[in-house]
Order: sequence, then structure tokens, then C-alpha cells
Amino acid sequence: MRTDSTLAILDRWGRAALPGTVLLFFVLLTLAPLRAPYLSDALPLLPVLVVFQFSLATPERLPGPLLLLMGILLDLLLGGPSAPVGVSALGFILVRAAVISNRRYLVGVPFLFQWIGFCILCWGFVALVWAFTTLWTWAAIDPVPAMLQYVVVIVIYPLLAPLLARVRARDPLNVPELSRGSARPGETTL
Amino acid sequence: MAIRDDFEVVAGQVRTVVQRFALGLLVIAAFGVMLVGKADTVLVEHARVLALDVVSPVLEGIARPVAYANRAIADLREFASLRDENARLREENARLLAWQTAARRLENENEGLRSLAKFREGPEASFITARLVGDNVSAYVRGALLNVGRRVGVAPGQAVVTGEGLAGRIAEVGENSSRVLFVTDVNSRLPVLVERTRERAILAGDNSPRLRLTLLQSIAGVQNGDRIVTSGHGGSFPVGIPVGEVVETSEGSVRVRPFTDFSRLEFVRVVDYGVTGLVGSGAGTATPSAPPAGVRVR
Repeated sequence: MRTDSTLAILDRWGRAALPGTVLLFFVLLTLAPLRAPYLSDALPLLPVLVVFQFSLATPERLPGPLLLLMGILLDLLLGGPSAPVGVSALGFILVRAAVISNRRYLVGVPFLFQWIGFCILCWGFVALVWAFTTLWTWAAIDPVPAMLQYVVVIVIYPLLAPLLARVRARDPLNVPELSRGSARPGETTL
Repeated sequence: MAIRDDFEVVAGQVRTVVQRFALGLLVIAAFGVMLVGKADTVLVEHARVLALDVVSPVLEGIARPVAYANRAIADLREFASLRDENARLREENARLLAWQTAARRLENENEGLRSLAKFREGPEASFITARLVGDNVSAYVRGALLNVGRRVGVAPGQAVVTGEGLAGRIAEVGENSSRVLFVTDVNSRLPVLVERTRERAILAGDNSPRLRLTLLQSIAGVQNGDRIVTSGHGGSFPVGIPVGEVVETSEGSVRVRPFTDFSRLEFVRVVDYGVTGLVGSGAGTATPSAPPAGVRVR
């Protein structure tokens, strides 16, 4: 086995760190005071989009413990004084698990199916966070803003997902088994 | 060969079990964090403040170009309506000048009357100007992050005002950053006065753009257009900061529109009133409480 050049090592590190970095960026972006109508509403849900898309492409580079940390960070930064800390982390982990166990239906299928998959999982995420926050604070929280966020992020998905989907393993078959999931040899990630 | 196949099968099973177990562990960890957060609010508070302090320089880096871009867009938009805007402002200026004369006269008169009555003024308020570096707006919370913190004298419970009126109060403070809870947040409770009738009430947010006026002694006296100002009860807020105006009075519920336009906040002022610490740093609600002995209250 030959020793890698510095560039190759950098390349490998960059590839390994990219999904986590992108997720961190989007977590921080949720706080950015963008004054764009509609887009600002959707910002808090964009990390879910990133988690979904990267779990699809390279789940081994977005491990569960990292998602736990990112979710906690998101809750710490975004949550109100009495909001539960860790509910986003739970949501992220469940989204990742759901994507991995359903790769058969999500990898190598037309874009529309991935979109539908995202619609379903994101709805689950929104419902989970809303339910937990309501139970935790024991107050009737209006679900309409959450639903509005959901609709906007669903609409944004086709714009952002192809961009994020460019981050994936070089060769679909030359990747760890976890990332290949239930995809058969010959199937590629779109 | 068979042994190796068996081994691989077992190894595969073990791996599957570990993976499944890993998911369970992560879920348990997430629940654990939630429970810890519920049980030990002080710890969570510290974690929040720490995260805030770490992130706020990064956010400031993001916020500046965003603010420039927003301002450029707003400039372009205003350029179109410059003539109308000018005419409107001239008219308003004339009206305000008349008011200024009236205010000067009243101020002089007030001062004279106060010295006659030996009235003792409340504590002097000083202001800390802050830039909004982050939005804290989601489906569940209405707030913002500021780039000032404990180092310049910001403390939990202080009022945050804009040119138009009250925006909210400081909820959490880090070394160089702090978090504002807007009056529209569901956790916000504010002791107020109806300016015209001097009736006391509590102004509560519910995450919607309109505020709810409750605990009125008599709801009948309130009319549309009535101005709502802070009452200063509880001691941590100055008296008479405008908050909003009544826009809806129906059976049993009075709705108030805040004067502050939360969608275009850029700079705010934190009011250091010299009386802080009445509102506990960990408390989510600013329920008016009796001031401890020895604290100067108006």
C-alpha cells in the first residue's frame, strides 16, 4: 500500500468533513437575520433537508453521534427559554435511520420519489418537534406556523437538493456497505 | 470454507445488532438530554449561553453582508417612491414641530411642578446600543441575538427598545452576547397601562403578530386606538415606554398591535434602569414580583 500524497490526504479529509461542515453551516444559518419573505420562515427546517439528503448520499460521513450534537446545538441556539433541548437531535437521528432502512425506495429512483420521501419524513420531523414542544411546555402552541415552515421547505427542496446531492462517494460500489444500503450492484445514486 | 461463511454470517448479524443498538442508544441519549434539560434548567442555561457566545462572532460575520444586501434592496425600493415619501415626511415634520413646541412647554411646566411638589425622580436609565446579529424566530419562539453582553453591563430582565417602542426584554446573557425575548413570544408577560384610562393590565404574547391584553379590571373602557405603555410594575422596566395600540376589541379579548416592526430590526437599545436581578435569569416568564427591600422603585 503506497503512502498518499498530501493532496490526497487533504482530499480524503475534506470529503469526510464536508457533510458535517455543511450541516453546521445550515444550523448557523437558521439564526441569520435574512429578511427574505418565506425563506426566513423555512430556515429552521433546512438542517432537516441537509440531514435527509446526506443520509441518502453518504450516511457514513454523517454519523449518528454527530447528528446528536448538531441537533442539541440547534436546540440550544434556536430554542426558547422553556423549549426542550434535544428534540431536534431525536428528529435528525430518526430521519437518518428512516432513510437508511428505506434506501431501497430512495436511492436510484426518480427525483420525484425522493421528494415524496422527503415530504413524508419532514412531516414526521415537524410533527415530532411540535408534539414534544407542546407536551414539554404544556401550552397550546399554534401549529399553523410550523405547517407553514413545512410547506416552504418542501417547495425549496427541489432547488437545494440537487446541489447537495453532488456530494457523494466517487464510486457507488466502492463505498462502505452502510452507504450502499440495500442498493444492488449496478444501481447508482441517481 | 463453510466455517468462513458461518463466520461472515455471524459477523454480519453482530454488525446488524450493533447498528440497531446504536440507533436505540442515540435515541436514549436524545431523550436523556431532554430529561436533563427539564430537570436541570441552570445547566441548560449555561450551555445556551456558552453556545451563544461561541456562535455570535460567526453570526456577526454573516449578519453584516446580509444587512448590507438588505439595505441595498430597501434603498432601491425606496428610490421609486422618493417624491411621495418626501412630501409625506415634510407634512409629518411640520406636525412634529408643533408637537415639539407643546412638549417643551409641558416639560418646563412639569419641571416647575415637580420642584414645587418635591417629587423624587426614579433611577436614571442609561442605554446600551446593540446590533442584532441573529434571528431567533421559529414556529415556537420569537426573539433575537444581540452582540452585547455582560461585559458592557447587559443583565437579564432589562428592557430592549427601538425608536418606535418596546421590543422585548433580555432573557439570557453571555460574556459578549445576549438573547432578547420579543413581546410577541408566548413566554412574554408584561405589566402595562392603558395610557388614556391609566388602567393596569398584563400584555401577553402568543407567538402571533398581535398581543393579548388580559387581567383588565374592566374591559369595557378600552377602545380601538388606545395606546398601551409599560407600567413599570415589577421595577425592572422604566415607566411609559410605548408598546402598542389596541386594534381589536371583541367579547373578552383585546388585541394589541406592537409599534415595533420585528421584521426589520437592525439596531436596538438595551435600557439599563439600574434595577436588575428582580427577574431571575433562569425564569422564562417575567411575572411581576414584589421588589426586595432596599431596591429603589418609583
